[in-house]
Amino acid sequence: MIEIFNPGWLAIIVDNGRYGYGDIGVPPSSALDNFAYSTLNYLTGNHTDSPVMEVMGRGFAIMFDVDITCAITGAKVSAYINDVPLKSWTSFKATKGSILRVKEVTEGLRYYVGFSGDMVLEKAIESFSTNLECRFGGYKGRPLMKGDIIEFNNVRIEEENAVAERYIPSMNPPHLLRITEGPEIGHFTPNSLKNFLKNHSENTYSVSTKLNRTGIRLEGKPLLFREKVDKSIISEGILPGTIQIPGDGQPIIMLYERSMGGYARIATVARIDIDMLAHLKPKDKVLFQMLGIEQAETLWVKKKRKYLMTYFG
Amino acid sequence: MIFLRYGEHGIRIVFGKSIDLETHEKVRRYYFFLKSLRIKEIIDITPSFTSCLIYFDGELISFQRLTSLLMGREEAMKTVEIPKPTLHEIPVMYGGECGPDMEFVCEYSGLSDNEVVEIHTSVIYTVFTVGFMPGFPYLGTLDKRLYTPRLETPRLKVPEGSVGLAQLQTGIYSFESPAGWRIIGKTDKKLFDYKKEPYSLLQIGDKVRFIKI
Repeated sequence: MIEIFNPGWLAIIVDNGRYGYGDIGVPPSSALDNFAYSTLNYLTGNHTDSPVMEVMGRGFAIMFDVDITCAITGAKVSAYINDVPLKSWTSFKATKGSILRVKEVTEGLRYYVGFSGDMVLEKAIESFSTNLECRFGGYKGRPLMKGDIIEFNNVRIEEENAVAERYIPSMNPPHLLRITEGPEIGHFTPNSLKNFLKNHSENTYSVSTKLNRTGIRLEGKPLLFREKVDKSIISEGILPGTIQIPGDGQPIIMLYERSMGGYARIATVARIDIDMLAHLKPKDKVLFQMLGIEQAETLWVKKKRKYLMTYFG
Repeated sequence: MIFLRYGEHGIRIVFGKSIDLETHEKVRRYYFFLKSLRIKEIIDITPSFTSCLIYFDGELISFQRLTSLLMGREEAMKTVEIPKPTLHEIPVMYGGECGPDMEFVCEYSGLSDNEVVEIHTSVIYTVFTVGFMPGFPYLGTLDKRLYTPRLETPRLKVPEGSVGLAQLQTGIYSFESPAGWRIIGKTDKKLFDYKKEPYSLLQIGDKVRFIKI
């Protein structure tokens, strides 16, 4: 078993999501950085859909009561096991009685901690992911807290394994987000759209402090609605990465906690950049670049190939 | 009915432009048709007032192939079995602490609270869609006399079971949540239970009658 000494700002259990229930309003609640999540399960030798911890902030600390292989991916951290520094994106063996501490997050926002073994948790609606708003899934439907204990089955020591530096994504701002047109892109004035897509530093948006797993509010030059266009739409299904524009014109990037929305959908973050949304922090600069769908698809196919190289290259 | 692309992995199938029963019936029929096809490349389906949103697995199928596959199966839509809507009675405590916006609704509509309750309970509503949060039903259509604008600034928190009004819709908060709808009452009926299938008490197309308690 392991014991949580300190959960950092927020530590929750996630997996690759709860899909197939959009008709009753159940959102995916999946790990926000899918590449970091998948790579973590690769490093620990787990199934591709195993639950892991998604953590924000420094201070995270756990105590091991078992010898087990573990790894950290996602945001780059300075982490220690007892007093020995660890490398991110590299698996390591933790011994019984040792303590893992994350002292600093040096790049990005969310990091993922996984273990070579099966955490003893119950699935809720076919997934281990925590739905924080409705308090189900994960660890008793809530964030991990000091004193929580997680038991394991099938504990293993795996060969140490690392992701080559060149495959670890950069998470430093400014973030260039490539997007494709959303259903209501026509609701905005051509001038304000032009500004939205201008890649000049004076036109960037910055990430506000209103940021959680549901969405990220940006601040910048407001989008303007065309005359005679309703500022809200008849609520409709939305996809993760959809950028909605509420009445005040400031973009909100939706993540994995909503299946429907009632604001104009100006664009959708392309698959190639969607994992980066996990690492947008307050004050980070964000730039948008519009892609055609085929371009977006081509870029994603290329990136996927690079991902596969990570594992088999 | 039109097929529109939305992002790399989304298809919007759009049936109309307004909230009305005719469009709703088309959405609902198509949703059950989609479900009946059991296409493994479809990851999720979100039916709403005017459209069905398909989220598909781009690793397994392309947009073009999926849309032509769907169009090729349209004959089957005529014979698809659509479940009979269930009528649910939802007991509600109106006004007072349970309905902090009752006073506003009375003022806005020029009706007494008894009249508001009488009108609200006199209609059999249709579940146009379930969303926003798990199990939250968007119910219509509200009697025009109860038309109410949303709150300018949403409340930070309303309790689970809160019954609200927004324009010509009424709905029930299935979980404690921030809320922009005007709250006129509260029910103890559990709308969502993650431990028990089908998880959501109300399904698209079901009927709801509110009962004053």
